Amino acid sequence: MRDLYQRLGLPHDASDKDIQRAIEACHHSALKADAKVVLGVPEHREAYDALHGTLCDIGLLRARLGLTHGPFWQDSTANDFSLPPDNTGARHDLLIARVERAVGLHDGWRKWRAPWLLAMLLVGATVLGAAAGAALYHYWLA
Amino acid sequence: MPSGRFNPFETLLLTSRSQADTAGLLLLAWVMASRGPLTEAQRRELTSLASECRHGHDLAPIFTLADRQDFDAIQLAAEVMQKDRGGEQAYPFLRQAIALSVADGEPSISQHHVLRFLADLLGVIPSLFATLYAEQAGRPYAVPEDPSRRDYWLAKEHQRQRDEARQHEQDERRREQEARERQEQELRRQRERREQEARERERQRQENARQERARRERAQQDQERTRQERARQERSNESHNRRWQQQTPPNDARAHRALAVLGLPPGASRGEIRKAYRRMAQTHHPDRFFAEGEARMATASQRFQRIKNAYEYLMRAS
Repeated sequence: MRDLYQRLGLPHDASDKDIQRAIEACHHSALKADAKVVLGVPEHREAYDALHGTLCDIGLLRARLGLTHGPFWQDSTANDFSLPPDNTGARHDLLIARVERAVGLHDGWRKWRAPWLLAMLLVGATVLGAAAGAALYHYWLA
Repeated sequence: MPSGRFNPFETLLLTSRSQADTAGLLLLAWVMASRGPLTEAQRRELTSLASECRHGHDLAPIFTLADRQDFDAIQLAAEVMQKDRGGEQAYPFLRQAIALSVADGEPSISQHHVLRFLADLLGVIPSLFATLYAEQAGRPYAVPEDPSRRDYWLAKEHQRQRDEARQHEQDERRREQEARERQEQELRRQRERREQEARERERQRQENARQERARRERAQQDQERTRQERARQERSNESHNRRWQQQTPPNDARAHRALAVLGLPPGASRGEIRKAYRRMAQTHHPDRFFAEGEARMATASQRFQRIKNAYEYLMRAS
């Protein structure tokens, strides 16, 4: 399976008019004949697009998992849908880092004896509120 | 710095009792969803597969993620599987994936590519994968077709035309056969009517002969003898009539059974019986099952024969 959009130099959401123009301008006769049948007929193009989407996803997955040279990834498919190695990092490492951070936060909170701290904060807020109320009362009525 | 909330699949993995099982279920759902949106039957199938896993959570989020083809979730699942289920541990999983994709006939091309990705992911070499595939599908593994080529679409078009022609031919043949059956029935009915008439005439003749003989005897014998004779004759007539009556009206149990075969309540009229028979004959005709193999065709022809027998019996009896 080849990426006809890439070979014709088109984005994969190109309009029908752009595709017609690109097919007319193509110099490779075999590619031209194939593109006419595959991209020129709406229902063929729809089926092709669905498969194209899946293969793009698989290409990206392979790039991220280091499988761009697997025995089942060869010929034109591998040529057209392989992507350069991706350094976004593994999702699993990301998950573990996130879990570690959550664990750290949780432990920190527990270390500061959370219930006691909460009670203190509550008392402080009440005292502050009372003082502010008294001050306001004093200024307005004085 | 990683931040933000855990996404649904991460939450699922963290709450799962077996991360590899959860990841495997998502990948299986992905294999099925790459043919089209998940159907109710596919969900049930996956649920029954999941009953053997140790994941211990709800499957609904997995179905949603697979239907959406959520890329991040699939990547995470693939990483977990690569880490936990490499080499020989992968065989059961790959077997399930292959079985799910060949369940509805030949796998779609997307499914082929997904399966090839999974084989690479789990480090299963092509020869082994081909063996697994042949075991599950019952036919050798074939490289997926290439829809970016003109030949693929031309072959598909050709196949469609051939199918249409065959369908047309089958319809034609069925119509012909039905017409022939109708004609045969008509002939049979005529023959039966003729026989009935002949029997009636024969009976009439016998009756006449007996009456003639009785009259002659009565004339010869005295009053007493005549009365006795008449009484005896009446008795014999009666018994004859009784025998005749037992034959003609349909035997109740058997008629009920025949009506039940045609799906009718007791006491249905001739018109109803004929209509029901036509409908049943159409749905159960063996030619309809031609594409589904010998066994299906054999059972269908049995059913059809039973329906035909019931109909013929009812037509003869009523």
